[in-house]
Amino acid sequence: MDLVLQLIVNGIINGSHYALLGLGFGVIFGPTRITHFAFGPLYALAAYAVWTAAVPLGLPLPAAAAIGIAAGALFGVTTYRLLYRPFERRQSPSLVVLIASLGLFIVLENAIGIAFGSDTKVIPNFNADVILLGPVVFTSVQAAQVLALITVGSLLALFLKRSDYGKAVMAMTDNPEMARIIGIDTVKVATLAFALGSAIAAVPAMLILLKEGATPYMGFNAVFMGFVAVIIGGIGSLSGAVIGGLTLGLVENLGTWQIPTEWQSTIAFIVLFIVLLFKPRGLFARGAR
Amino acid sequence: MDYLLHILVMVSLYAILAVSFNLLIGFAGLFALSQAAFFGVGAYTTAILATKLGLAFPVPLLAGVFLTAALGMIVALPALRIGGDHLVIITLALQIIVIAVMVNWRSVTGGTDGIAGIPKIHLGGAPLDTPARFLPLALAVAMLSLAIAWRLAASPFARAVRAMRENEAAVQAVGKNIVAIKLAVFAFSAGLAAVAGGLYAQYISYVSAETFTLDLTIYILAMVILGGTGNLWGSVLGAVILTALPELLKFVALPPDIADKSRQVLYGLALIAILLLRPQGLLGEIRAPRRRIARAPAAGAALESDLPADGRVTVEGKGLMRRFGGIVAVSGLDIELRRGRIIGLIGPNGAGKTTAFNLLTGFLRPDQGTVSLNGVDLTGTKPHRIVRSGMARSFQDLKLFPRMTVLDNVMVALPRQKGDNLFYVFFAPWIVAREERANRGRALAILDFVGLGERAGDTAENLSYAEEKLLVIARLVATEAQVLLFDEPLSGLAPNTLEAIFPIIRRLAAAGRTICIIEHNLDVIRGLCDTAVFLDEGRKLAEDAPERLIADPALAARYFG
Repeated sequence: MDLVLQLIVNGIINGSHYALLGLGFGVIFGPTRITHFAFGPLYALAAYAVWTAAVPLGLPLPAAAAIGIAAGALFGVTTYRLLYRPFERRQSPSLVVLIASLGLFIVLENAIGIAFGSDTKVIPNFNADVILLGPVVFTSVQAAQVLALITVGSLLALFLKRSDYGKAVMAMTDNPEMARIIGIDTVKVATLAFALGSAIAAVPAMLILLKEGATPYMGFNAVFMGFVAVIIGGIGSLSGAVIGGLTLGLVENLGTWQIPTEWQSTIAFIVLFIVLLFKPRGLFARGAR
Repeated sequence: MDYLLHILVMVSLYAILAVSFNLLIGFAGLFALSQAAFFGVGAYTTAILATKLGLAFPVPLLAGVFLTAALGMIVALPALRIGGDHLVIITLALQIIVIAVMVNWRSVTGGTDGIAGIPKIHLGGAPLDTPARFLPLALAVAMLSLAIAWRLAASPFARAVRAMRENEAAVQAVGKNIVAIKLAVFAFSAGLAAVAGGLYAQYISYVSAETFTLDLTIYILAMVILGGTGNLWGSVLGAVILTALPELLKFVALPPDIADKSRQVLYGLALIAILLLRPQGLLGEIRAPRRRIARAPAAGAALESDLPADGRVTVEGKGLMRRFGGIVAVSGLDIELRRGRIIGLIGPNGAGKTTAFNLLTGFLRPDQGTVSLNGVDLTGTKPHRIVRSGMARSFQDLKLFPRMTVLDNVMVALPRQKGDNLFYVFFAPWIVAREERANRGRALAILDFVGLGERAGDTAENLSYAEEKLLVIARLVATEAQVLLFDEPLSGLAPNTLEAIFPIIRRLAAAGRTICIIEHNLDVIRGLCDTAVFLDEGRKLAEDAPERLIADPALAARYFG
């Protein structure tokens, strides 16, 4: 029983990480419908930005975190303006944009490897505290992952529901065509979505840097999990993305109760496969029909 | 010298991979990202069978091909219902699962060490253990693979595949089974990738999971995009360029790790540059040029068979009901269609007319009620089966195949094509060729019947609006269905054009077709229909001769209100 409890806690922790990635990916994907594969290496780049600020530059961690988030937002906006916008302007099919994104994915992933080397970058002298809570054990970084989801999720929900820009993002998610007709500057909103989504991605990136360190290839798993959370939750629904991410984490971890850990990711994808087989629009798709 | 020959072997293998990927994304428009996984499963299967069981070429390779083809079909399953981003994510998931199996199933796959010491292929008693000895085999298999892909791409099956890429609903509406088409394309593409995998395993003698990652898929994708999607020669060219060019990097003194990464950066940049500068690729898809189609001397009759226009009831919809969320689109609808009669379906926007068509033709399943054709119950039958049983429909928004020729738009709709069956395509090509000649004659006769004979060689997107409407009729006639449902076949046309289309529809009725038309123009209903059915808010309010229906003040108020 204690084992199951521990697995549930682990599931919530990993699930929070996936849910944050789903929020970041989903905030961009919802209004722009760009399958932003480069989200992965940009996430990695944010982790490297934090590492650069904290280790070679020797800044304190909170300052490094702020730099990482700012850098993430900047990279995201730059990508949109320099890569995706030209394709949008010539009204390229979404497939072409997706392929371009894969192109950027492979460029960035390898450029990071060339610039920083392939070894794992860690923050030296950082040790997470171990917290014992009844029968379950977790670290302070793991707790931070859950707290980050709660904080970022609430702030994002507040922003999307209360502010005019947030409402514009939601309007564009529901119907980009209609948003344009009622006078929403869709380029501006898309730029904002890229800034927001990329800044959000910098948060889990930083926590993973603290937890496991950064590698040039960390982005693939991130974009994939974010994308999967969005698909399971249903495109256009951010609360769906959170539930999708948490489901993914719980399934992965509870699966290891009976199945060896190395098959963890395989279990999650088999679940994904089955979900899409029976509910192709995701569990919480928005809108009728 | 060996180095150069080695590059040629690799070019051959990549050419097979690029061609296999092109069939999937270029021809079928199915964007999957698992080609490296298919390649890897082929390679591992061959490696395991050749190393552990000592089986001799080509048994391990063929086993790999069949296993991978089956895997391709399994992946296609969720993709059958929804494409686009879902297919991307499903195929990525497969990619990850395949790598996980390679790394974790240690007893069979050797885990992270991979499988080393895979025996070389022996042909004629001699091992193919150098690039020089392996190259002839690699070239021969590459040529054979290309020939097979070429044959596929030129077959009637490929015409249906291209049509599916342009419009899935329309290709179902002409009686094609898109599930079968997608499964076949996936199986074929995966199997072909496994051919390259099998050769690779026994050429390099070593397989390891890290070869078969997403990066490899992107690399192959770059070849396909560079050469041009939908063009098989383009894929070969792309494979040649992207395999040979990076070798030049070897002459720059860089540490191997950096050199490898720089190569990947170059692929990525090349991919983006092509998409920006020349999205159709170096060669671009071969499109049928505008040409005069040679006429077969005896083109045959446009209408395969004449049935008595005796007014017998053919289609019966009983108590049809369909809800969308809280909205009832059609409720309690009884409708009878009769042989040789033209029935008009009128009513205000949102009355449920198109929904009624969707219910009759299987595009929507009724929540209640039944549909039967000649007394056979068709409720819940798939659209393509209903077309084959004899009821076909057109779409309000036409749904032509714009990038195909006018002739191909019609030919794809002809029923019972043996050329849709890959067995006939590959093992009885003469039957397919004979059938194609006959079908061409029939398609031309149908085009003549609607007055589009002269435009047969044009691309459909170059037609005028009126001609597009005629092509819709021609494509519907080509299905040889006895019941033809036209969704606004005449809307937006000038009065003199209408006059030209009326006789076509009347002749269809006279030849014993059962016809139902959705129409807003009351002059058309008056001029063409024998009976009219008035629908509003999903219910049938009246059915009568058009004159009397239109004269009814209560209905007029609803219609114009």
